[in-house]
This record gives sequence, C-alpha cells and structure tokens, in this order.
Amino acid sequence: MTALQGRDAPTRSLAPRGSGGGGELAHRFVAHVARPAPPGWWVAVGVCLAGTLLLLGTLAYSVAVGVGTWGNNIPVAWALAILHFVWWGHAGGVISTGLFLMEKPWRSGIARLAEALGVISMANALIFPLLHMGRPWFFYWLIPYPSSLEVWPQFRSSLTWDVISLMAMLFASLALLFLGLIPDFATLRDHAPGTLRKRVYGALSLGWKGSGRDWQRYRITYGLVAALVLTLGILVQSVASLDFSSTLLPGWHATSFPPGFVVRGVYSGFAVLLVLTLAVRRWYRASDVLTERHLEGMARALLVLAWALAYVVLIEAFVGWYTGNQYSRYLYLVARPAGPYSLLFWAFVVLTLLTPQLLWSRRLRSDRRVLLLTALAAAAGLWLDRFIIVITSQSRGFLPSAWASYAPSWVEAGIFVGTLGLFGLLFLLFLRVVPFAPVHELQMLRHQGERRERR
Amino acid sequence: MTGETPGTGVVGEFRSAGEMVSALRALREGGYRSLDSFSPHPVREVEEVLAPPRPTFPRWVLAAGVAGAAIAYCVQWYANAWDYPLNVGGRPLYALPVWIPSMLAVGIAFAIAAAFAGLCRGAGLPALWHPAFEVEGFESASADRYWVVVGSDDSRYHPLHTAEALRREGALRVVPIRRDG
Repeated sequence: MTALQGRDAPTRSLAPRGSGGGGELAHRFVAHVARPAPPGWWVAVGVCLAGTLLLLGTLAYSVAVGVGTWGNNIPVAWALAILHFVWWGHAGGVISTGLFLMEKPWRSGIARLAEALGVISMANALIFPLLHMGRPWFFYWLIPYPSSLEVWPQFRSSLTWDVISLMAMLFASLALLFLGLIPDFATLRDHAPGTLRKRVYGALSLGWKGSGRDWQRYRITYGLVAALVLTLGILVQSVASLDFSSTLLPGWHATSFPPGFVVRGVYSGFAVLLVLTLAVRRWYRASDVLTERHLEGMARALLVLAWALAYVVLIEAFVGWYTGNQYSRYLYLVARPAGPYSLLFWAFVVLTLLTPQLLWSRRLRSDRRVLLLTALAAAAGLWLDRFIIVITSQSRGFLPSAWASYAPSWVEAGIFVGTLGLFGLLFLLFLRVVPFAPVHELQMLRHQGERRERR
Repeated sequence: MTGETPGTGVVGEFRSAGEMVSALRALREGGYRSLDSFSPHPVREVEEVLAPPRPTFPRWVLAAGVAGAAIAYCVQWYANAWDYPLNVGGRPLYALPVWIPSMLAVGIAFAIAAAFAGLCRGAGLPALWHPAFEVEGFESASADRYWVVVGSDDSRYHPLHTAEALRREGALRVVPIRRDG
C-alpha cells in the first residue's frame, strides 16, 4: 500500500496485468467469491472436515478422560500441547504489517493471506492453552473478575501475560483483517449477485462509499493499526517465550528467548504463507496477481530468516557454553546434539537451516517445487525445533536421577492432525467468502503503474 | 473541502482516475469548495487537490492507548498489591516492571479500538445509505469508475452550470442527488 505512504510503486511488473483496467480486477475477484465452488474445493473441505472431526473427538476424549491420555510424565510435564501452542503462533499479522511499514510494494498480493493466516492459526493455537490446563472448564479463573474464591490471577507470571496478550492479539488481528476488508466488502456488496449476499456484505462494509475524505481517514487508520499490530505481535511472541525463559531449566533460562521466538514465529509464518501463496496462485491461476516478484521476495525473506535463526541458535549454544554452568553446557553441547532426541535435532538443522540455502540459486528460487518443498521443510523443521526446546530441557534437567524420556501418545498426534484439518477448513471457507487479496490495493498499484508509464 | 461528503448536489462519472483528478482541479480553480470524490481505491492526487484538513483522531488513539495501559495497571495493582497481596518468591508487591507486558497489550488493544472508532466516526460509518447510492450505476464507484460530487451548499453551485462544467471535464454522466431521497 505504498501510496498510503506517499511513494509510487517502483515497478510496473507488480501491477496486475490485464487489458480491462482496474474494473477487470474487481469483477474477477467478485467472481472468485460469487461463482459456485469447484468440485476440488468440496473434496478438500471434506478432507479438512474429517480432520476437524478428529480434532473434536480427540479433544473430547482428552477432556473427558484426562491429561493422562497424553504422553506427559514427570519430569516432561509440558509437551506437545505447549509445543503446538507455540508452533501454531505463526506471526501472520507481523508479516503483513511489517511489510507494509517497510513499504514493500509486493506486500499487497499476499497481505490478506498473511492476515488470514495470522487469525486462523491463532484460533488453532488458542485451543492448546485452554486444553493443557487439565481442567479447561475453569479457564475463566484466568480472567480478573471478582470471584467468590476471593483470589486473583497472578499478574507477575508470564502465563497470565500470555492470556492477556493473546486476547489482545486476537482482537487486533481480527481488527486488522476487517479493516483491510471494508472496501472489498463494499465492492462485493455492489457487484455480487443475490440479495442475501448484498445484504450481508452491505452490513459488513458498514456502508463504505469510497469518498476521498474516507480514503484519507482510512489510510491514516490503517497505518496506525499496522504499527500497533506489529508492536503487539512482537510482544505476544516475546511473552510466549518468557513462559520458558522465566524458568530455571538449562536450555530455557536464556535472555535470547524473546528475540529468538520472534524470529522463529516470523520464519514459520513466512514458510506457511509461502505454501498458501503457491496454492492460491495455482488454484486461481493468479500468477498475474501473485507474481514471480512476490515469490522472489518471499523466497529471499525465507533465506534471510533462516540465517537469522541460525544466528539465534548459534548464539544460544555459545552463551550456553560461555556461562560455564555445567548443566547448561551439558544441555547445549551433549543433550541436544547427542542425546535421546539428537536425530530430531539434526533433522531440524537440515530442514530449517540448510534446506533454505538452496534459495541462494536464482534458478532454484524460480522453481516453484523447490519453493514449496523448502517452505514445507522449514515449517516441519520449526516444529522439530520447538520439540527440541520444550522436551530436551525437561527430560535432561538438573538431576540425572530425574531424567526420563517422552513419547507422544496417539491422542496428542490426533489432536495435531486435527488442528491441521481445522486450519485447512477455515482457510478454504475464508477463500470462498472474501477475495484472497485486497482488491483496492491491487487497483491502486495498477493506477500507480499507469501513472508512471504516462510520465 | 470541509464537513461531510456532500449529499445533495450533482455527481459526475469519469472513466479514469486521471480524468477525475483533473476535473476536481478544474472545479477547485473555478472556485468550488464543496467537493469530494468516489473511487474504488485511494487516489493520492485527490488529497493534494482538495487539501482536506488533517484528521485529529490520532491523538485520541494515543489517549486511548494510555488509558488502556492505566486501566491495566490499576487492575493489576488492585489484584496483586492491594486486595490479596502474596509474597511470591520474594518479588516486590508493587512490581511495575512485570506489569508492563499486560499494560502494553491492553493499551494497544484500546488504541486499535480507538483508531477504528475514529475511522467510523469520521467517515460516518456505519451508514448503510448515502444519497449517491440512489444513482443508477453508482456501483461502478467500487469497481472501475471514478466519480466526483459537487455539493449544492457550495456558493458557486448552480444546477445547470455545475453539471455543464462536469461534462466539459469529460464526465460520462452527470446526475443530481438529494439527501432526502
């Protein structure tokens, strides 16, 4: 949305091509939403619905029978539930607003995908803090209300900060997504067929009329909200990391955790975003909206983030040795690379740090299969990274007599697969009801491109 | 350009943003002041031509953020330092540093809500009807056409001459609109 910052889009190649002008864009995106869904969509929804039912089943079983159905033990009391909470915290909102404030013109094509990714993955992530409480029906005790128990939440604890910042982030991500959608809802209200559609989109658009005054206010509001959401997103990732780093366990008790988690969150967010971008590009034949330039930008971002994560991992290991603390040294230099989960550790290194190095080559960067595989590898590798962080520190703690191993149970695996299904279901529904890219931003890019050409 | 988007006057439809902007420029040079545009995307030149007053709501966003942080501080202070003080690991009762993350989160949430309210209040949202919506074909304003509106409250407004001025600038159509129907 570079015009919002007062700068021209630097390249015509980003403006969606087509002979019909901006109207062609609008009508095309309306058609995506208005025309009946192709059979492939129904098949995909069916698969994801099955996953969602699996999720509901395993959740119900976990709540009804108890956390004993999981593989958690003492000392590994915190396992896959917290892992999934962190992994599903893909920083979609941070990506969208970060690119906006950096004035990257290729942000417009992927902005809505990033924002939707943020909201949907947060919905998945929020299942886990509720679930892993053991008695999730008492979740409301975390909210500071005057209770008959006459106790309050402990606000000095990062777990309570988690609750508050996540609720704030959910609100903020929805607000950002909705704000970007208001003008597109107006377009749908005006051009989608059917009275029901017009009424619903009309209500959602709040009566947006697109006047010059309104656009000026919109531009200012969007800039403010973007800056606020970016700050909050970084805060949320940091607070989630403080759940670990405010403890004493070796491998957790490190001040590098907040920036490390921000890097990991943005990295996994970009990886999943790249997968979604490639999918949407293929399904909608939208290579003129999600152009080579977009893929190039995202591939480079992935490579940069891989190096950022490599730096974080090396610094953590170095400081773990540099402290001289025997427990810390053991964890970083023996337990992780050579302990019971060493296979996972080296798999993480290969998938997340080494595989993206393929993207140095321009030829490989423009191969979409390489991009897809690299993105999937990075996302999977970051799951393994979370596993290493969460599990090894607990299973190889201070006292060797207290060491134990952990293996996930089928119920936990079912919950994870189920959340993948829920994510897919929500994302497919999202694609059916709103345009996958902000139409007004794309039209603005085209307008700016035409202005530059006329000069 | 002061006040709301005019609801009574004439609207003209233009094929492109450039034509709309040059029409606005010509009208402004001709002395018109009650002007606005309708477009499917923000057109930066419109702001340069019409020079609307800069909205003041950002300061309310800041105020809301500070208020949210203050509320979060008060809730935490009351809960953990006044009503039920607990010695947890020797940590101080009045612990501002550990309360800051929650203050930031709540403050930012309040600020975002205020920014939204500022947008809605300034644009008159939600307002599901505007007189321009009555114009046949106005839905092109959200797709591929650019409209100009001249308010009848303008001192230079004349039903025929203003419409003629719009046509001279290349308007495809010129249609009157009225606020009360």
